[in-house]
Amino acid sequence: MTFFWQLLLTGVATGALYALMSMGFVLVYRATSVVNFAIGEFLLVGGYVTFTLAHFLPLPLAMLGALPVAFLVGVGVERAFVRPLIGRSVVAVIMATIGLALTLDGAAQLVWGPDQKYLSGSLPPVLLTFGELILPPRAFWSLAISLPVALGLIYFLQKSRWGVLVRAVSESEVAALAMGIPAPRIVTAVWGLSAALAAVGGALLAGLSGVGPHLVQLGLMVFPVTILGGLESVGGALAAGLIVGVAEALSKGYLEAYLPGISETVPFIIVLIVVLVRPYGLFGRRDIERV
Amino acid sequence: MLKVENLKALYRGVILALDGVSLELARGEAVAVLGPNGAGKSTLVRALAGLLGSYEGRVSDGRIELGGRDVTAAGALAVHRQGLTAVLEGRPIFRYLTVRENLRAAGHRLPAGELAARMDEVFHWFPRLAERSHEQGGYLSGGEQQMLVLGMALITDPQVLVVDEPSLGLAPLLVEELFAVLARMHREKGMALLLVEQNARAAMKLAHRVYVLEHGRVVFEGEREAAERDADVMEFYLGTGAGGFLGAKRYRRRKRWI
Repeated sequence: MTFFWQLLLTGVATGALYALMSMGFVLVYRATSVVNFAIGEFLLVGGYVTFTLAHFLPLPLAMLGALPVAFLVGVGVERAFVRPLIGRSVVAVIMATIGLALTLDGAAQLVWGPDQKYLSGSLPPVLLTFGELILPPRAFWSLAISLPVALGLIYFLQKSRWGVLVRAVSESEVAALAMGIPAPRIVTAVWGLSAALAAVGGALLAGLSGVGPHLVQLGLMVFPVTILGGLESVGGALAAGLIVGVAEALSKGYLEAYLPGISETVPFIIVLIVVLVRPYGLFGRRDIERV
Repeated sequence: MLKVENLKALYRGVILALDGVSLELARGEAVAVLGPNGAGKSTLVRALAGLLGSYEGRVSDGRIELGGRDVTAAGALAVHRQGLTAVLEGRPIFRYLTVRENLRAAGHRLPAGELAARMDEVFHWFPRLAERSHEQGGYLSGGEQQMLVLGMALITDPQVLVVDEPSLGLAPLLVEELFAVLARMHREKGMALLLVEQNARAAMKLAHRVYVLEHGRVVFEGEREAAERDADVMEFYLGTGAGGFLGAKRYRRRKRWI
């Protein structure tokens, strides 16, 4: 039984990281209806900027410093690539974000090279134990950073004035403009916020295990998580992130020995099953329609 | 307060929706713009609100002046800051936000204390909204949604309020109630009101002056009393004329207007 709880704990920690990235993805989708295939590259930006800043700053400051840089990258992407495509076909926008992802990948390799980079310092190796359960440092930091940020984001969206405006603009940009809400500025800020959220994951992973082009693959986990949680639900992304993280950890612990590679497939299998039963995801919202 | 001169508007660069519309709205005045479907009423509202761009449209000629300033090319936010709030057609509330959150979004520029006071004022005008203040906008009835969107407009304390088809899809009794509140609000708050309506009977009770749009052009303008004396307006919009719907006389008049 201890083994199960151990896997559960590790899964929750990994899932919190998935959730963070997915929440940024959902925010952008809600505000602009753009499926951002470059979300993994925002993670990469966070990792590499942390790596670079760590040459001059203590690691926690380097990690913090990566966030405004990623925010600005997100803002730049919205201004340069997304805004000019408003009103174009969905396919054009998707192709643009795929093109952007490849460009950012290439640029990152050009600047930092294709090898794995390790930081000179790392986050303190905190090892927590709960009876027989052990929370390894990677899981501890993942939980300690991702979960408060994710919960803070939900609080911000639900309670703060800006959060209400983000939700308003996400529903209808025209209605928002008619009420004097600065919709274009909010959409830009949402892209920045999304990039910064992904960058939290990148900075965290850089601080724990270094950074390399493979980090982009983590960005792929955003897709099963958001489809499972519901493409438009920020809270759903948090819950689905945790579910996917736990499912991945359990399948790795119990099934990987018999079915090598199963843990990477499990999230997608879960999504397939859930989507068949609930096409709008576990927590996706149905349109409110008066009859 | 609001002056529109020879306004022409196009959609997608080719569809002419307004063809030289001119109108004026003085401070504290209530003016009705009447017209059938496709007359260009909603295009006029969008143009006034600086929102034509959001509908693939643009002003191709003419001028809109608000409070003495040229706002023809100004965006929606600049127009709003200048004191004009437009309530678009179709009750454009935020359906997933609660009533309170909708009002909070509309009054986002106000300090917290003032926002609370204005919310109380909205609830005073529309007590039904107070009862449902914690419900999502999407679950309100059509009439309540219209009250909410009017409340959202009021919270910004506009100098000019432009309302597009507030009676659309509402029961006659509700329309009467809504227009009574609009009339009281207009009287007590002293704002200029441009009411764009198909429901001529309701709109004319409230308006000092009337414009009639047809195919993007103003085909009648005058005091309410003059509109009430005009046989065409009475026949087409209030249904009190003599001829049948397909009558030759009606057709001739219509042709003359167009």
